[in-house]
Amino acid sequence: MSHIRAEGVGVQFLFDRQQRTMSPMLARFRRRSSEHWALTDVSFEMTAGEGVALLGASGSGKSTLLRIIAGVLEPDAGQIAVSGRVGSLLSIQAGVMAALTGRENTYLLGVLAGMTARQARAQIPEVKARSRLEDQYEHLVGSYSQGMRARLGLAVIEGTEPSILLLDEVHEALDHEFRDHVEAYAHRLLEAGGLVVATGHDHPMLERLCTRALLLEDGHVTADGGFLDVQRRYLGDRAA
Amino acid sequence: MKPTAEAPRPTRTDTAPPPAGAASWAKRLDIVWALARSDLRIRYGRGSWQVVNWFVNPFVLVGVYVLLRVILDRGGEAVGLSIACAVVPFQIVMLSCVSAMNSVSLREPILLNMRFDRTLLPPSAVMTETLAFVTSFVMFPLMMLLYWVGPTTALLWLPLVVAATMLLAFGAAWPSALLGVWAPGVTLFATQGLRIMFFAAPGLVALSEMSDDVRRWIVLNPLTGLFESFRDVILYGDAPALWQLGYPAAVGALLAAVFLPLYRREQRHFAKLVSSL
Repeated sequence: MSHIRAEGVGVQFLFDRQQRTMSPMLARFRRRSSEHWALTDVSFEMTAGEGVALLGASGSGKSTLLRIIAGVLEPDAGQIAVSGRVGSLLSIQAGVMAALTGRENTYLLGVLAGMTARQARAQIPEVKARSRLEDQYEHLVGSYSQGMRARLGLAVIEGTEPSILLLDEVHEALDHEFRDHVEAYAHRLLEAGGLVVATGHDHPMLERLCTRALLLEDGHVTADGGFLDVQRRYLGDRAA
Repeated sequence: MKPTAEAPRPTRTDTAPPPAGAASWAKRLDIVWALARSDLRIRYGRGSWQVVNWFVNPFVLVGVYVLLRVILDRGGEAVGLSIACAVVPFQIVMLSCVSAMNSVSLREPILLNMRFDRTLLPPSAVMTETLAFVTSFVMFPLMMLLYWVGPTTALLWLPLVVAATMLLAFGAAWPSALLGVWAPGVTLFATQGLRIMFFAAPGLVALSEMSDDVRRWIVLNPLTGLFESFRDVILYGDAPALWQLGYPAAVGALLAAVFLPLYRREQRHFAKLVSSL
């Protein structure tokens, strides 16, 4: 059963004088310039079958929260418990490497996601078909458009059969036909007892996917409720 | 919640348990192999030119050093083979370090998108360079033929000599990977430092041809034992001395013992660090 629970989660960034990010260990040796809590005291619970949108202005902590759920970042304070296999499209590059072809990315990402080498090889024809990249699949990803990268990234994710899907604006780079595909896939996942957490500025799409929303402001969750209520508050605050 | 003295330790819990025992090692091996495979393509290209490059590159390297020795007017026994015995282990160790320095930043798109076992990045760098340089072993039979050096039973020691080389490369890969994340600006300087290590070891000239004064300090370089071990088993037909294998292996083990725990602690911050590189 897919489930996410966060209690008092905080994520801290430390910067040196050149505004480069430091780890706490590096901060002992380099002179620290500033620190910033990208998330502070974030608590929530998400359960199976829920579609949850993260709303908020740029820099409010939406992407950081998605990265915490994905396990890309680890909390510097608090606890997070994630139950279920996570599939994520979080970065602008959609998690694929520009110097590899679509086929090579499929194999590498499949193995990193937990498949055996044999399973990762076996899924290549399916991923190629799902991505609809045709001949471009054998080309270097560096030659792909952002939308093509997102298609490849999503096709790989589908192959790993996640029960938790995290989408961070990347899906907005997709064409309308493929966006419908993402939506249909997310709905199937929700019906099967999965969880979808998405963020972006395409609110009509978020509304179709998500019944619930969290509003993030300066790294704090300031509202948690039905999508339309939270959206109204977010847009109202911005208008004010 | 900003952490205080009373606050519980920050944690992440995943209820999907990772595979245990043999399955866990098989999975890790799959990941290391997949990372090394992708690395080989990125660093060395694709197609038939890649194979040509792999075969020709070691010969060119040895050729450069032979030329240097000719210019310095230093004769000696089977010069080309003697230099090859130093170049092969040196390239494995040096390129493993260089590859490890880039191993984290190279995977930035993946690092920022999904969770995976990031402790496997340095070992994959060692595997990449070992695979890339395995072709250089072709040099040995060709050069033995060229210098009329016959094979002896000492060659049976070769797997152990290669293992000691890989252990040193494995140990050095951890601090190299951390350096690449902590101070990417000094990686070029560090690479030059590694090159100096070749000349501060019996690379161009065998240990037996050096003065006692030089020999006293040059044995402190862990590469010395490796170079001499290769010469012993391939050129001189002798079993390597215990210190020649034991010292570089011990240095590799010590580096791993010190830097692996440090790397494991730091890897949780990699996503923050790579995005500002």
